[in-house]
This record gives sequence, C-alpha cells and structure tokens, in this order.
Amino acid sequence: MNSRIGTHILSLLSLAALWEIAGRAMNSTLIPPLSQIGAAWWKLWMSGKLLANLSMSLTTLAIGFSLAVLFGIVVGLLMGRFRAVEHFLDLYVNALMSAPTTAFVPVLILWFGLGVESRIAVVFLFAVFVIIINTMTGVKQVDTVLIEMARSFGAREREVFFKIILPAALPAIMAGLRLGIGRAVKGMVTAEMLLTLTGIGAMIMQYGSSFATDSLFAVILTILLIALLTMRAVQWLDRRLTGWKAEIAIE
Amino acid sequence: MVGAALESSQVWNDLNESDRQKRLGRPSMVEIRGVSKSFHKTVKDRTTEIKALADVSLAIRENEFVSIIGPSGCGKTTLLKMIDGLIPCDSGKIVIDGKQITGPGPDRAVVFQSFALLPWRTVLANVQFSLELRQTSKEERTKTARDYLKRVGLADFENHYPHELSGGMQQRAGLARALAVNPSILLMDEPFGAVDAQTRQLLQEELLELWQRERKTVIFITHSMDEAVYLSDRVVVMTPRPGRVAEILDVPLARPRLSEEVRRDATFVDLTNYIWRSLKQAMENHH
Repeated sequence: MNSRIGTHILSLLSLAALWEIAGRAMNSTLIPPLSQIGAAWWKLWMSGKLLANLSMSLTTLAIGFSLAVLFGIVVGLLMGRFRAVEHFLDLYVNALMSAPTTAFVPVLILWFGLGVESRIAVVFLFAVFVIIINTMTGVKQVDTVLIEMARSFGAREREVFFKIILPAALPAIMAGLRLGIGRAVKGMVTAEMLLTLTGIGAMIMQYGSSFATDSLFAVILTILLIALLTMRAVQWLDRRLTGWKAEIAIE
Repeated sequence: MVGAALESSQVWNDLNESDRQKRLGRPSMVEIRGVSKSFHKTVKDRTTEIKALADVSLAIRENEFVSIIGPSGCGKTTLLKMIDGLIPCDSGKIVIDGKQITGPGPDRAVVFQSFALLPWRTVLANVQFSLELRQTSKEERTKTARDYLKRVGLADFENHYPHELSGGMQQRAGLARALAVNPSILLMDEPFGAVDAQTRQLLQEELLELWQRERKTVIFITHSMDEAVYLSDRVVVMTPRPGRVAEILDVPLARPRLSEEVRRDATFVDLTNYIWRSLKQAMENHH
C-alpha cells in the first residue's frame, strides 16, 4: 500500500514536471504551464466562483446518485429474486444500459424543463442501470447451499433475504455503486454542458469558447479530482461493508 | 456373525410395519414409508423425468447411528433433504415421532458437505446463526454458541472467519452450528467428504465421542465404506438411480470403538468387503 502511494506521488510529480516544461517550451495558450493553471485555479477559488458552481454541481450529483442507488438496488433485488420481474424488465434495462444516455437529454428537457430536475434525471439515468444489473447479478449468484442451509434451520423468506441474500450480494452491489458513481460524474458534467449552462459544466463551456485555457484546465482538473474522490469514498464504504470479501481475494 | 447380520437385514425389507417395530424393540423415531421422488430436467426444450428414489422404506430407532451408502447419484442426498423437510415426497411419507413431516423443524439439524458457512460471519456468529432463527436472547445465544465451539475444539477460533480455517475446522464449526440447536436428529450429508484423509479419520473419532455423550439419532450419508462401518449401528446400502434400499446391514462391533483396533477387527474387514461387493453387484445389475 505504501509503495503504491509512493508510486502514485512519483507519477503525479513526473506528469506535473513534464507539463510545466512542455508548457513553458511551447509558449502557447493551448497548453499553459501547470503553474499558470494553478494560479488560475487559486483565482477562481478565491473569487468564490468555483465553490459556488461546484456546490451546485455536487448537489445535482448527490441527489441524482442517491436516487439511482435507492432505485437501482430495489429494482435489482427484485429482478434477481423474482424471475417474472427479471423477464418483465430485462429488455429495457439491457437496452438502456448500452444505449448512449446522452441521446435522451432532449426528451428529458421536454419532460422536466431546463431546471435542476432535468440535470438530476441525467445523473440518475447515467448511473442507475449499472447498479440494477450488478445488484441483480449479485442476487442471482448467491450460493444456493447457503439459502438451503438457512431454510433448513427454519429461516422464513424474510430472514433468508436479510440474513443470506442481501449480505451475500453486497460485494456485487458495491461494485455496481463504484461503476455507478463514475457514470454519475459523467452525467453531471454532460447535463451541465448540454442543458442549461450551470455549474462546472458551464465554466468549461465558457472558458473553452473564450480561450481561457488556464482556467479551463483548472476546471477540468477539478472534475478529475471529484471523480477520484467520489470513487475513493465508495471504495472506502465498500471496504467497511465487505471487508471479508477483500481478505478472501487476497488469499 | 456377519452372515447372521446380513441374513436378518435381507429379511428386514420383507417384514411389515408392526413386525419391524417388534424386532427393533424400541419405537422407530424416523420412519420412511414407501418414499419416491422424481425430478424434471429440461435441456433444450426437452423435459426428461429423472427418477431419483423409488419406494424407499426405512425405520430408524432413537439414538441410532445409521449410515446410508450408495453410488453417486443414487438419491441419498435427496433422501436426506426429504427427511429434513426441504423437499416434499412425490409419494409415500416420512414420519418422525409419529408425526408426518411437512417442512424443516427444530427436531432436526443438517451438517452440510460443503460446510455452508456464511463467509461474512465469524465462526461464533456462524454458530449463532442457527440460534438466531429460534428467537433466543442474545446473551443466551453467545453462551450456547461458545459452549458448542468448546465441545468441537474451536474455542480459540471464535473470531476467525471461515476462510481463515482449514476444511476440518470449518466442518467442526458446521457441526457446532447444528448441535447448538439441540436437535434430536442429526442429518449429515457426506460431512467429511471435502477434507483430507487424516483429518477425516480424526473427525470421525470426534463425532463418535460427541455422539456417545450427546446421544442423538444420526443419519449419515457417505460413499466411504469404512467410514460407514466404523461409525454406524446399521448401514443402508442403496442401488444406483433410481435409489432403492438394496440391503440393511447390522454392524455388530462393540462400542466405544477405538479407531485403530476396530479397523483391524475381522468383522470390520469382512463387513467392509461385503458392502463393496454389494455395491459392485448393485451397479453391475444396473448396467
């Protein structure tokens, strides 16, 4: 773990150094040196503009992703548990899973207007299907011997579900959440760029079209940081909840 | 001696219910009466019926140790699941203490071949699982679980997860989980089939010791002939699919049985050889 963090730092420092040198050598607005981007970031931060947009974006992300987690897990559990529900829904889930979600944005504008509801809907649609499919797969892969064991000791349907199926499916559900949060961040930025220009998506469009490349890169790096941090948060939760699985994998 | 035992068991199947009861001396605790079971298997839209068990009858006394041995796929595990009440009989019935069974009950507990421990629970929590479903208080559950872990020699491992233990230790936990609910009938489905030979012999000895102390009725599925003879009062030999009772053999070896001595005993050797020939014959008749 320590050597991994060390390598990460080394990698980041190398990239930063390379970027700085390349930026200075080319002396072009297309690739501003990293120090200039840093300065732009600091300016954006101090003006409060970045924080205001960021909090708007992250609110959308939090609401959209929470709804996707809630809905995705419930639907996934039902599809995994009941064959009829699975067959009723799997056509749509599979189709929407692989379809480019961006294509639905115009429809969402018609339904929800140009406000925050539409952006939440985009985040939701980006994240929900992978959560559904992972949850369903997790439920279906539960070792039947464990269910049989529980029944043998007198477990009722409810106890089989909460004491066997849910904990056994948890690693797969968490994997769905990990994939889902990544997609949710994509959905967030997509919505802000394609719908009304708001949040950090709007900042990207604004700085991109006005050739303010240092500010543009500052925002892009911020998005990368959000993606990384949210992913880390889900991974942390995953380890807390399914530590037993990680230990088995290591062996 | 073996000859006499064999003769009496061949006659056994021809006896009617009340005669069997008389010969047993004590009332039967588990009575399997003319049980049959078929499964439907669908491969590429074609459904075939697989007859797993055909007209199986068997009476097991209280505190008796009975092994059921037979070739793979003879339906012995199916029979065990039916006694546990996990799957229903197509015809015939299974009666325990005079009552026909309709599902799993607190009088029975299963020890599974693949251990069936919950990987996300510690050993202690795994043993508590069986107790949780029977609504005992938390303190009581912990106390009972610790007590049984001690009896199977796992007292120092209660906070370990199953994957941290050897196969033999995992099955000890499985045994503790079953014993913890204090069943009168222990159903064991090839419980030592997944552990190495030395551990297997050790577990057999420990099981006999436990059984001698706890006095439970044990129905033990196995495909190992010497395991069946070493452990049991009677050995039920089954035919290949559809499983029927081929013969029932008494094991006239004195208890307590010390592993090394018993395995050299002429009766043990004869009986093991006899079962081997019986199984072989049953399989040859089948083909």
